[in-house]
Amino acid sequence: MRNRISRRGFGGLMAGSVSVVALIAAGQPAYANTRTRLIWWGNPERDKRTYAVVDKFLEMNGDTTVDPETYSWGDYWTKLATLAAGKNLPDVIQMDYRYIFEYARRGQLAPLDDFIGNELELADFDKNLLNSGKIDGKIYGVAMGANSMSYVYNETVRKEIGLELPDPIAWTNDDFTALGNSVKDALPKGMYFVRNMGRLENVLETWTRQRGKDLYTADGGLGFDLQDLEDFWQLWFDLQEAGLTPPADVMAQDNGKMDEMMLVNRRSLFDFLHSNQLVAAQKLIEDEIGITMIPNQTGGQPGQYMKPSMLLSMAANSGDPSAAAKLINFIITAPEANDILLVERGVSGDASIRERIKPTLTQTEQKMINYLDAAATHVSPLPPPPPKGAGEIERAFRPAWEAVAFGQKPVKQGAKDFFDFAQMTLERA
Amino acid sequence: MQPSSSAADTGHSKGRRVVAAPTLRKRIGKSWRSNGPGYMFLLPWMIGFFGLTLGPTIASLYLSFTDYDLLTPARWSGLDNYEYAIFKDSRLHNSLSVTFSYVTWSVPLRLAAALGLAMVLDRSVRGVSFYRATFYLPSLLGASVAIAVLWRQIFGSEGLVNHLLFLTTGLTGPSWVTHPDYALGTLIILAVWQFGSPMIIFLAGLRQIPQDLYEASSMDGAGPFRQFFRITLPLLSPVIFFNLVLQTIEAFKSFTQAYIISGGSGAPVDSTMLYTLYLYLEAFANFRMGYASALAWILLVIIGIFTATAFLTAKYWVYYEDEGK
Repeated sequence: MRNRISRRGFGGLMAGSVSVVALIAAGQPAYANTRTRLIWWGNPERDKRTYAVVDKFLEMNGDTTVDPETYSWGDYWTKLATLAAGKNLPDVIQMDYRYIFEYARRGQLAPLDDFIGNELELADFDKNLLNSGKIDGKIYGVAMGANSMSYVYNETVRKEIGLELPDPIAWTNDDFTALGNSVKDALPKGMYFVRNMGRLENVLETWTRQRGKDLYTADGGLGFDLQDLEDFWQLWFDLQEAGLTPPADVMAQDNGKMDEMMLVNRRSLFDFLHSNQLVAAQKLIEDEIGITMIPNQTGGQPGQYMKPSMLLSMAANSGDPSAAAKLINFIITAPEANDILLVERGVSGDASIRERIKPTLTQTEQKMINYLDAAATHVSPLPPPPPKGAGEIERAFRPAWEAVAFGQKPVKQGAKDFFDFAQMTLERA
Repeated sequence: MQPSSSAADTGHSKGRRVVAAPTLRKRIGKSWRSNGPGYMFLLPWMIGFFGLTLGPTIASLYLSFTDYDLLTPARWSGLDNYEYAIFKDSRLHNSLSVTFSYVTWSVPLRLAAALGLAMVLDRSVRGVSFYRATFYLPSLLGASVAIAVLWRQIFGSEGLVNHLLFLTTGLTGPSWVTHPDYALGTLIILAVWQFGSPMIIFLAGLRQIPQDLYEASSMDGAGPFRQFFRITLPLLSPVIFFNLVLQTIEAFKSFTQAYIISGGSGAPVDSTMLYTLYLYLEAFANFRMGYASALAWILLVIIGIFTATAFLTAKYWVYYEDEGK
């Protein structure tokens, strides 16, 4: 035997490798059936709290197992689509309003109506918020919390420079610009008045809604006009040229991660956030953060709306739907779970939970709840769901704005090019 | 004679048929005994190659003719993807021009840096192996995520480069990585910095050049420049050719640095949108798997054209020493 491996040893090797392959093949489905898999996107703080909730659930339901998985927002949708393609979606899925329609309409999610009243006890749940998970007449997701868009600002610096903010409901972009010009020279070195929001689709949406138009119509077309976009970009371009926003190359360093925010890096007094992100952002900066509404246009309608910060859905291919529904119920309605989650994912739609956790909240969390209560008086209804292709249009919004911000195209031309691109993308999708 | 020979013939052939089976089995058995373990050791690689490389490659060829978004089954769409890519997709055309300028700058510069350093290191100085290792280091690190993150810091608005610029000239530089005029430049510098592997190959090539050619030429009065252009370059041309082809292919495939430095978006204004990054975004952000597969095959054709051009022109500029003999 020149090769030093005897025939018997060889057979052993072979058997070994075959059995490894068999194990890999057999392991997967068995694994999926006996456990409830839970997947979410998040940040370290959210992950910590969610793991704790899972532990609590296991402690209270001895005979079950839960497999938690978490990804960052950027990786999450890639992972989820890949899992869906492999018919291997986790049982309980954290969903976003932008994606839930696509997943539900393609049969990837299970309708929850049959579980409501049984495993899902949603009697105390806010009806409007519950309906935000309704697609074509059926509930496909339960909102984990409500939030809204907001302007946030550095409260510490605001006090230092003695800036007084007007009534958040009544203030307009003209007020905002005037305020900026009045304090421009008083700001600390390197800090601008406001981050440039020209590339934020959420802010554009608020802008068009103030004019009574949604980004998308119910039948999946563009809901606004070229003129609306042009005016929006003109405003932010003028603010940039006036030195009230950071220059374009500094703005481009912000790739959308929270630790790159202009506010967090003390590069701007004002910034944009979804209200539930206030808690996480406050952890990244020593200065106190304040929160207020997005300024309106003169004579404009309320542009903001209350939206589900995220929803919990069940996969259509879930091996044990009842167990999955129980887990959803636990996260949404159990006092033990919400004592841990608090308002990190937004303010709960369950009235009894809200009352229960209110006294335990930190100052920042209370600030956020107060903001939502105030904003709730001045919002308009939820817009129609974004059509297929909306995600791509949103991603193309940034380079389109940057072409304007860096002076490669005049505002008019840039707006027209993007508008054409958006229309073409909707046709192609 | 006749019948007996025919009988012998049939007998012989019959006998061969009877004997043939065991011999074949024996031969397979024998070959298995001597080569079997080799194949078994190859098995993990073969499973990987057929299961993870060849299979998906063939699948992607099929998918490139379909409309596939992962959530719903693929739908046959004929040549639509290719038609859209070639005639309509303006972001793709932009990313192509970004990629071409990346390749045309980074490859020659990287090869020049590699050759220059190889010539410096091709001598027996004390500690030369230490220097070689040091110069190779960027290639080991350069493709990593950490270096790309570091690059963002160095070329950021308050980064090292701007600090040095301010100290030496008093000028305030822009944020190089996030300015559309300079962002691609920082990527090219990062690519050039990873000259290690072509450098090692050049070093080996330089060692092959007979020293007596230099001695003879210097006796004839040739200076270092003339020696470089008349001896070093021609004799090194096969190695240059090899490096050129390899580095060009690699440059077309660059992804990580652009992905990290632009935060996965090709920002600013798509100025760092390399072809592979656009392909990735189409596949995993816009979920157009069919279209992305078509893009991958188009890239394959582009790389193929470049490589073929290099091979076809090779006879005019690549000099093989043994050919004349």
